[in-house]
Amino acid sequence: MTTSISFKIGGSPLFSSWLFSHLLFPSKELIYQRRRLLRSALLIALVMIPLVLALIFMDGMMQGITDKYILLQDGHLQFYNLDELDDPLVQSSDLVTSGYGIIYSRDKSAEVKLKGVKEDYFNSQRCAELKIKEFKAESTGSVAQIMVSETLLKELNVEVGERVAFILIPEGEQKGVRPMLAQVAATYNTGYYELDSSLIFLNYEVAKRYLPNGGRSYLEVLVDNRGSGHLDELGERLAKGGSWASWDQFNRTVYQNFVTSRQVILLVFILILVVAGVYVASVSNELIQDSFQAIALFKALGAQQKSIRRSYFWAVMVVTILGIALGLVVALVLGHYLSPILVWLSKQGFEGLRYYLLDFKVVVAYTDLLFIVGSMVIIASVTVMFTLKRIKEISPLEVLQQD
Amino acid sequence: MSEVLLRFENVSKIYPSGSSHLTILEELNFSIEAMSSVAVVGKSGSGKSTLLNLAGALDRPTSGRVLFKGDDIGKMGDKELSLYRNRHIGFVFQSHILLEDFSALENISIPALIMGESARVAKKRAYELLERVGLRGRAHHKPQKLSGGERQRVAICRALINGAQLIIADEPTGSLDEASKEEVEHLLLEMVKEEKRTLLMVTHEQALAQKCDHLYLLQNRGLTLV
Repeated sequence: MTTSISFKIGGSPLFSSWLFSHLLFPSKELIYQRRRLLRSALLIALVMIPLVLALIFMDGMMQGITDKYILLQDGHLQFYNLDELDDPLVQSSDLVTSGYGIIYSRDKSAEVKLKGVKEDYFNSQRCAELKIKEFKAESTGSVAQIMVSETLLKELNVEVGERVAFILIPEGEQKGVRPMLAQVAATYNTGYYELDSSLIFLNYEVAKRYLPNGGRSYLEVLVDNRGSGHLDELGERLAKGGSWASWDQFNRTVYQNFVTSRQVILLVFILILVVAGVYVASVSNELIQDSFQAIALFKALGAQQKSIRRSYFWAVMVVTILGIALGLVVALVLGHYLSPILVWLSKQGFEGLRYYLLDFKVVVAYTDLLFIVGSMVIIASVTVMFTLKRIKEISPLEVLQQD
Repeated sequence: MSEVLLRFENVSKIYPSGSSHLTILEELNFSIEAMSSVAVVGKSGSGKSTLLNLAGALDRPTSGRVLFKGDDIGKMGDKELSLYRNRHIGFVFQSHILLEDFSALENISIPALIMGESARVAKKRAYELLERVGLRGRAHHKPQKLSGGERQRVAICRALINGAQLIIADEPTGSLDEASKEEVEHLLLEMVKEEKRTLLMVTHEQALAQKCDHLYLLQNRGLTLV
């Protein structure tokens, strides 16, 4: 055997990059190919936009609702031993009392939670979560003054300054119900229907007087660690053997619903991404189909399969990544205006939106975004690589079919 | 005596045809000396293209050996075959087979880029070849803007750019008008001679075949020196 033929195995990166640039930037005569690439990137962007917006909406709303429940209804922690708490992690500790009842207007009624709070309860942190509006405290004497949400007032068809009646439900072993008259002295609005429709504030002393057995009193504590994971440890430490509850224990169902909804939505996202991946694969397939003869010629002229595959793979992936990036940018920009858009839509009469918290801060879960982007890239890579196996099946002899 | 560049040793090519087999080439033995020109003539369906496909490593023989400078092409893996085609073979097909989306210059540069040359070097060589075939001014024209003869001249340049020792031409003037035929014939033979390359050509054109150093007739699955 002679050694006349010297071989260096391996695809040429120069050829790959040359072919890649031609695939990604077709000449101006190739209008269809140019439009196809643009259309593909736009379609991928259109898949990404609703996914990212849904994530922003979901996270913003869930964070907003959680904050409202924590700040206005339950606190981070509740301690039933009413001793003062002294811990650097405690931001505020408020003595409150609560009870349940049915509120009656002239023609409507609703089940409510009455919460007795002291004057300093509405600190700046809580005031950021609700808007206290009208205040009319003309009545005195035996009529309790209450602060009711605008939502509930509207449902009860009651105006500020008017009177409403309560039937207060006894706690524990106490028998019999107690009636109470009250005057709507102020209104508030948190923006979240579920909370607004059932929570009524009144003075702590008045609540102690009117609620059966003085209501259920506890220390409502806000801490600077909002992560529920550390609350148990903190609660245990601060309770010093007494009974206590954290907000997520107290609202176990609500909390679990949030977590489950989020997991289900992420699963749906993955399924949508799989569909998008199939679309990317079809783009890749179309590209190969159009270049069938060219691929055969490249092979006949000595191009290695690896070089050709590399070019097609990166061309499709660059289009995919550009589509993802475009979708992300558009979604993040739109996401910052999502809350006002939803509020506007709600005002235009979209009834379904009234049950959602629409006035929320934008929360971008970057880890989840990374997960979505990563999943999209991985799914697209796998499907494209699978499609590119077709290149192996194209024989250089196919070039002669043109001949 | 010149070095043998390509040798066919007992080469057979059989294609399955339904439940039976179709033998195209049978126990073929012949060799081509380096820097010679060989024409193969024969009727349609006699196996001329199959012979070229085997020589160009586009296909493998059913039995026997095709040796290039003594190396058995049949034993090469796909990657080695690709490199063999890229470095040692230049193809000129009947209908030029240029990529319509690429300019003449780019079409000629493709084998050089595949070989790993930089775009600059590939372009430089392509320009030189275009100059020699009188098409430098058409370098940036797409194939659809070129005449049949011009396209075939571009295809000849593509076959020569990597310094391939063996030029395989399948009916290179088959799709051209009379004026272009003569021009391409002359160019192909002249460039092969000047560049000291070896030409293996299949043609129906007796006049062209006669201009080659050796003329073979392919019939009854075998070759006869005419």
